[in-house]
Amino acid sequence: MTTRLVAEDLFEGVDPMRLVGARCSGCHTVVFPRQDSCPRCADGAMSAHVLPVRGLVWSWTLQAFPPKPPYRPPAGGFQPYHVGYVDLGEVLVEARLEVPRREMRIGLPVRLTTMPAYHDEDGTEVLTFAFRPDPSPEEDR
Amino acid sequence: MTEGRPTTRARSDEVYVVGCGMHPFGRDDTVTGMAMAERAVREALADAGVGWEDIGYAAGGSDVSGKPDTLVGRLGLTGVPFVNVQNGCATGASTVLAVANALRAGEASLGLAVGFDKHERGAFNVSAARYGLGDWYAESGMMLTTQFFALKTQRYLHEHGVSERALAMVAARAFRNGAQHPMAWRRKPLTEQEILDSPEVSPPLTQYMFCSPGQGAAALVLALGNRAFDLCERPVRLASLALRTRRFGSFEVFSPWLPPGPHRSPSVDAAEAVFRRADLRPADVRVAQLQDTDSGSELIHLAETGLCDHGEQEELLAAGDTDATGRIPVNTDGGCLAGGEPVGASGLRQFHEVVRQLQGRAPGAQVPGAPRVGFTHVYGAPGISACAVLTV
Ligand SMILES: [Zn+2]
Repeated sequence: MTTRLVAEDLFEGVDPMRLVGARCSGCHTVVFPRQDSCPRCADGAMSAHVLPVRGLVWSWTLQAFPPKPPYRPPAGGFQPYHVGYVDLGEVLVEARLEVPRREMRIGLPVRLTTMPAYHDEDGTEVLTFAFRPDPSPEEDR
Repeated sequence: MTEGRPTTRARSDEVYVVGCGMHPFGRDDTVTGMAMAERAVREALADAGVGWEDIGYAAGGSDVSGKPDTLVGRLGLTGVPFVNVQNGCATGASTVLAVANALRAGEASLGLAVGFDKHERGAFNVSAARYGLGDWYAESGMMLTTQFFALKTQRYLHEHGVSERALAMVAARAFRNGAQHPMAWRRKPLTEQEILDSPEVSPPLTQYMFCSPGQGAAALVLALGNRAFDLCERPVRLASLALRTRRFGSFEVFSPWLPPGPHRSPSVDAAEAVFRRADLRPADVRVAQLQDTDSGSELIHLAETGLCDHGEQEELLAAGDTDATGRIPVNTDGGCLAGGEPVGASGLRQFHEVVRQLQGRAPGAQVPGAPRVGFTHVYGAPGISACAVLTV
């Protein structure tokens, strides 16, 4: 089966795949996805910045009802899913959370993964980024 | 209005509300947004005892229901200057600001502000491109306002040790107040348990903790001081009004990323400015309107506007302090939770309710003891807030 990423410019590398944002040379603000100007200061230059893969759940919720388009449901149809912000230290990133409800809590250690979001009409599987529970959160970050 | 130290103005430079009108909120397929606005304007004019031809300056706002200045075709082609405003949740406050400033600048002595909207059923439709985001954000299921409110509330409860029951108490009070208000949409009281047990939308928020897009209209007649006291037995002074947009680090809807924090809301900036300008403190407020798109929003706004401390909300709610008979009555007309949210009309609904409370003629639950100081607050995307202080 062929696969593609939901948006190429969010990612860098293949194995392991990493999220890439941008960092300001002036005030060190980290943004995601990347952008060409700093939202905080006027004089910094933005350059690509690979984000940490490990973090902590900062907030979470469940999407209980099927969103309207342009949301695209997965092949098997809509199933409720978790979303949240993950604290990566230098930035909080909003993401799908592949975490069971019974394990879900603010402060839960998680790490980056990918998950199928939906399929294109030609059957191509479209992957997006997500975070799942981190079995070894103390390893080098 | 200028910032900085409070100033004592001569009465002739003060702006007062001298008339209010409102079309009932809710859902009624037989009436258009423009027709509701016309009715609200006519009511406000009658309340002030003036005619449309007396209005020297007008501003109107609507998000989706037409160009407000076309109302002149219904009200009379008097040549009046009429400014259209489309400023999200701050639309109503922006119309009041435009009219008040015009009156103070000597454009006219009598002005009118009107806001109206009529929305489709269900959650507001959004487009990723309109917010400068890639399609991936919406396609992968993260572009929903309900998620934002839930994520913000979840984090707030965690940081400040507030329980989910507090969210139910907010909604229960809203529906209790709405049940008494003839122009509210949701008129059935619900128990805290019924609210907690309603379908989960996005935890910690359930279905009855969210307002719905609806329809409605409200209008105000504003007058400069000397004229105000000729027209109205109990004019309500617009002591101050402040409008703010977000600064770096605020936690707003449709944010694929946030800085680590702390996250300071434009509501904090608007509230600080409006109290400073009015030379009053949050503790002076005896009747308040807070943006309650959902229960969590109201809870957060109680503290962000300075009406209580962070984490103190649950105690306040449990003690009945935010009830109409309490120490700091909040959303005495049921707010957005009971009234629905027609974006262009909500802000002026807040003014309508506070003005009526200060005049001692609230359509619903009247705050006892002749309150002298009222407060309004709106907050919305993409990080905008407006607050006003009204006094008698
Ligand atoms: Zn910078």
